[in-house]
Amino acid sequence: MSHRQTAANTYRLRVECPGIAAAAVAGQFAMLRIADRVDPLLGRPLAVYDTYRSAEDDAPQGEISERRFADFVYVVHGRFTTALKSLAPGERMTLWGPLGNGYREVPTTGHLLLVAGGIGQTALLTLGRDRAAAGEKVTFCWGASRGAAFGDIDDFRRAGLDVHLATLDGSSGKRGTVIDLLDSLFPRSGAAETDAPRHVACCGPDGMMAAVSRWSEGRGLGCHVSLEAPMACGIGICFTCVARVKDAEGGWDYKRTCIEGPVFAATSIDWS
Amino acid sequence: MTNAPADSPPDGGSIDLTVHLGRLRLPNPILVASGTFGYAKEMVDFVDLHRLGGIVPKTITPRPRPGNVPWRTIETSAGLLNSIGLDNDGVEAFLRHQLPFLLGCAAPVIVSIAGADQREFVQIADRLEGVPGIAALELNISCPNVSHGVDLGTDPEACRSVVAGVRGVSRLPILAKLTPNVTSIADVARGARDGGADALTVINTCQGMAVDWRRRKPLLGNVVGGLSGPAIKPIALRCVHQVRRAVDTPIIGVGGIMTIDDVMEFLVTGASAVQVGTASFAEPRSSTRLLDALPAALAEAGVTRVADFVGTIRLPGAPQAPSSPQPH
Ligand SMILES: Cc1cc2nc3c(=O)[nH]c(=O)nc-3n(C[C@H](O)[C@H](O)[C@H](O)COP(=O)(O)OP(=O)(O)OC[C@H]3O[C@@H](n4cnc5c(N)ncnc54)[C@H](O)[C@@H]3O)c2cc1C
Ligand SMILES: Cc1cc2nc3c(=O)[nH]c(=O)nc-3n(C[C@H](O)[C@H](O)[C@H](O)COP(=O)(O)O)c2cc1C
Ligand code: FES
Repeated sequence: MSHRQTAANTYRLRVECPGIAAAAVAGQFAMLRIADRVDPLLGRPLAVYDTYRSAEDDAPQGEISERRFADFVYVVHGRFTTALKSLAPGERMTLWGPLGNGYREVPTTGHLLLVAGGIGQTALLTLGRDRAAAGEKVTFCWGASRGAAFGDIDDFRRAGLDVHLATLDGSSGKRGTVIDLLDSLFPRSGAAETDAPRHVACCGPDGMMAAVSRWSEGRGLGCHVSLEAPMACGIGICFTCVARVKDAEGGWDYKRTCIEGPVFAATSIDWS
Repeated sequence: MTNAPADSPPDGGSIDLTVHLGRLRLPNPILVASGTFGYAKEMVDFVDLHRLGGIVPKTITPRPRPGNVPWRTIETSAGLLNSIGLDNDGVEAFLRHQLPFLLGCAAPVIVSIAGADQREFVQIADRLEGVPGIAALELNISCPNVSHGVDLGTDPEACRSVVAGVRGVSRLPILAKLTPNVTSIADVARGARDGGADALTVINTCQGMAVDWRRRKPLLGNVVGGLSGPAIKPIALRCVHQVRRAVDTPIIGVGGIMTIDDVMEFLVTGASAVQVGTASFAEPRSSTRLLDALPAALAEAGVTRVADFVGTIRLPGAPQAPSSPQPH
């Protein structure tokens, strides 16, 4: 297990977990728990950020099936992440995964736009790399409150993505929200049709995802979002993580985002 | 540690794990608790389902219920507060979509049912009567998340009448699941016994609340909810103890069980079997891990049958340990 700080309040943890590393697809997550502790009691969901063959590799190499280690990138927030940050060497972790559907349903359109808010970039790196490697153009827009929140931006550049940043305080990239950034990159009128993105995949806080969902709809673009509902089990047995998902009859039902998500078509989510 | 087949059990040796709860016989005393194991199919990658002493799927109601608005759970110190609100698709969808898989697990399936009043309990029990393969019914008369006027789990006479009503239409063994949120759990246990319960499941969650003072708001969508996990184990043990002193009806202990020591504490206090709840969230394999550890713990206690250990606690002023409950 190795551990380092990558940005303000943000840490990157490498864990040996072959069952997860060799099987995870883009957008999937794992549950992590500090073994045998009752406080924090439960696991927490973290996106599988990237996977590696060894503890030392600094770039992913080889076939996915040979990967034995996974990196998780987290912001220190509450009980679990605070405890994780100061984990004593030799303390055991329990992990289970890979979990959730991932971004399997994101179509190949020729130009994919990835939009991250806050720590949402963690769910998007491998999706962007896979698509860029397959020859698709991938634009990555990342918004945060301030520049100090961005870490390991080069991972995204090395993955072949066209990276653009926005901060509310203007300390890095464009000043404003990620929506302001999207508007400036892809103005509604006069945009060269060929250059415009054809599909959007998004991960971040709910309010930001609702806004990106509206932005995409306004431009006639399909959009997939990865919801960050709090989870207690991650495997479908507790019914904590529900979101209102619209059904065919115009109604809605609570769906468990851990097993039926966390990725949904943005138009199927009832954001109210 | 993912998706690997669960470890095979160590040699159970000569320890007899069989449990008798009234008319219900179980292969071992480690069950999984309602609402904490989904409908079992979610657990196939984690647990060898056929090894479980019993599976109690999530409570079903006569009609579908959407459940409560998020946030539905909040972690608290060594505990979990929940207000799921009996989110379920109703008895008909359960029979069509969930029961066939459950019956294929080769573990006893104890169907947990709830209704708003005695009539609804009887109605749902009647619907399940004659459905092949169900081992027993557990009456969830104690869910803190559905407020409907009369609380069937807090009034001994109401409790008696629900159990008796269900017995009137069902030939299945009946477990009554009791709430700790009462002044005298012994009185409610007597009501359940008088109504004809085969066993008592002790306990459901303890009412609680969590608040965010900075935003001046309750954290649960439903404001209050039920507390589970290690934080409530002492309350659950106290309830098992009090019910044991009050009635001879066999008890299934539940509340905060995480370790094999917890299991043994419930057995010695008077529970004939236990249910594992929140622990399955913290570690999906908890139930079979505890089952693996049980024979060695019973051997350490010097018994060859689990039933010989049940209720053997030595209480002050009572030099003779009370005898374990006999199967009727
Ligand atoms: C699929 C998925 C992937 C994720 N990936 C990442 C990732 O890669 N990196 C990352 O940093 N984070 C990620 N998250 C978010 C992360 O799981 C949470 O931030 C984490 O639970 C924080 O744990 P904690 O114990 O530190 O905070 P907690 O103490 O659990 O709480 C943090 C805050 O969340 C709020 N909260 C607590 N309980 C609830 C609840 N039941 N409902 C709503 N809000 C609640 C409270 O305001 C609290 O202050 C992901 C979440 C999901 C669902
Ligand atoms: C998220 C959650 C959902 C629950 N749902 C039900 C339910 O549907 N029916 C029921 O009888 N008990 C339900 N319970 C209560 C448990 O079955 C158990 O009685 C209680 O959690 C105490 O055990 P524990 O501390 O091991 O979890 C639920 C508990 C939790 C945590
Ligand atoms: S987190 Fe438990 S059902 Fe989704």
